[in-house]
Amino acid sequence: MQNSLLLLFLILAGIIIIIFTYVFLSSKRDEQKQDGMQNALQKRFWFILILFIVLAIFASITIPKSPYFIFADEQPAKVIHVASRQFYFIMSSQAIDPENPVADASIEVPLNELVEFRVTSLDVNHGFAIYNPTNELIAQTQAMPGYVNRLRWKFTEPGNYNVYCLEYCGMAHQGMKTSFIVK
Amino acid sequence: MENTLLKKNTALWIITILVLFVLSIILGIIMRLNQGAVIQLSPVTFYTDMTTHGLTMIGIWFVAGMAGINFIMERYVKTSYWANLLAYILTIVGVVMLWVSTLIGNFHAGWTFLYPLPFKIMWSAWATPLFLFSLTTLGVGWLIWCLSLVTALLKKYSIPQVFAWQHFKKNPQVETPPFVLISMISLVGIITCLIAAVILLVLLFSEYYSNGTFVNDALLMKNLTYFFGHTLANEMLYLGLAILYELFSEISGQPKWKTTWYVALAWNFTLIFILTAFFHHLYMDFVQPEGFQIIGQIASYSASLPAAGVTVFSVIVAVYRKKINWSLSNLLFFIGVVGWVIGGIGAVIDATISNNFVLHNTLWVPAHFHTYNALGNVLFSLAFFYWFSKYYTHSKSKDRFSTLKLLFIVIGGIGFLLAFYIGGADSIPRRYSDYPEAFISAKALAAFGAAFATVYLIGIIILFVNISNRCLRILFSRS
Repeated sequence: MQNSLLLLFLILAGIIIIIFTYVFLSSKRDEQKQDGMQNALQKRFWFILILFIVLAIFASITIPKSPYFIFADEQPAKVIHVASRQFYFIMSSQAIDPENPVADASIEVPLNELVEFRVTSLDVNHGFAIYNPTNELIAQTQAMPGYVNRLRWKFTEPGNYNVYCLEYCGMAHQGMKTSFIVK
Repeated sequence: MENTLLKKNTALWIITILVLFVLSIILGIIMRLNQGAVIQLSPVTFYTDMTTHGLTMIGIWFVAGMAGINFIMERYVKTSYWANLLAYILTIVGVVMLWVSTLIGNFHAGWTFLYPLPFKIMWSAWATPLFLFSLTTLGVGWLIWCLSLVTALLKKYSIPQVFAWQHFKKNPQVETPPFVLISMISLVGIITCLIAAVILLVLLFSEYYSNGTFVNDALLMKNLTYFFGHTLANEMLYLGLAILYELFSEISGQPKWKTTWYVALAWNFTLIFILTAFFHHLYMDFVQPEGFQIIGQIASYSASLPAAGVTVFSVIVAVYRKKINWSLSNLLFFIGVVGWVIGGIGAVIDATISNNFVLHNTLWVPAHFHTYNALGNVLFSLAFFYWFSKYYTHSKSKDRFSTLKLLFIVIGGIGFLLAFYIGGADSIPRRYSDYPEAFISAKALAAFGAAFATVYLIGIIILFVNISNRCLRILFSRS
């Protein structure tokens, strides 16, 4: 998905550069031809209308795909509790006692079934970002002290998934990592 | 006399901003070199560097916009020289306190200093209160400055006039210049976000000095942090646009831009959108009410309509098949608009909740905000600096090596930014001092970004020498 977004971005950026270069070069033409843009007001309104329609279509397609709405009506097959702390994750299939947090030795989640991660923090804000076996970020939520974020996901590929902290949390942030297995 | 003082103070602002800019770019390059494993810093050094770089950059380009609009505003209303000078003194004091807290005290909670990170002491204990007092000092100076400018505008224009509401009717009796309208819209937004900063700081100080009897709510604090931080970072861009509306036509030898009903409408809407777009920083906090998240996406999308449909389109209309006296200043404005639009596209992609799910806190984030700053807003302010330094030294000399300076800045900027965008698409996290081996492309991209950032820096240094020399002459001249 990220590569498609990069491609979309590069295409749009390229179009903008071509338009502005064309406009710039038009200002350097023979003086007699410099009569400005005709019907500028009309063109302006068409431009705004088209932009509005494009953005409205984008919004109506993408908002239902927001992580708050996907899998909202289904029951999770497995719940994983996650407590984050500088600079490690505690993951357990049982609820975690903040006073005495204990992690499971390893975490396995089922393939093609709905998994819910209940993510919180025991100290500062952290991120909980899941990377697939090819190291592509596929889903994330934040770990915030005093709150539990519920991240639902269906894994369609078996393998080892890494989890990285994506919210800056202090001097060893870059080493805050865990993993689980999907099978 | 007052005008001379303002001119000298503006020259002082420009020199100070450019010195801090060069230093902050060097800090940025050091970070990318470390991420590229070209040099080796301890993580603490990296993160103190990161905190210093982020806050200094936001601060200097905000005051650059403010110094610019204060100077131009004098064309329309009498502004307070003393408020300008006080803001300068408090900015210097605040920046020194900030740099001491980070570079000596090792405070490294990032420019976002997300609660409760500043209280998890991993640095000298005195650095946390010094950091908070540095922000208070900056905030007080800036709030007084903004209030003094708003007061100056309201002495001449009534509230409906300053917001150009009379332009919604046919044949308005009074014309509100676009510069006045955009400055007012931006100042109201800035004052609102600085008030949020005051609340944030009061809550932080209350907890810090409560000995554990008072604890804040992390979600509320995060909302306040981004309401303040995001809005300030956005408004500084609009300050740059106010200057563009005033100077672009003037420098290009065209008639002055006028406020029309659609310009008035666009900028009034911008104020609403800009105050609600910050919710997109909290998309990945699923406990935030869903309504706020959707408002975040719609406001972020909507903000692009007046920006593209009015400002960008106006620049195109002003240039397309028109005779333009191109100089370095209006070229910087023109290229700045391109950078602003392209950065805006990157921002709209990231402000889409379903995209943010895989882009949030990856290198895509610094990619887009560096685009509309390094190749957008910075160029707007540099255009003003260059125009100011030439105009008030009565310099008739032709712009020498303009193309070369621009090429360094544009090519350096594009290479530096591409490394961020590709890194974002490769899922590489932002704010990592070193990259785990799993991120195969990360080190090479960081080194590539550092090399191009150095090219950008060379372009900036050449401009810095040109502009600063002339500003020093203004500063030490008798009139």
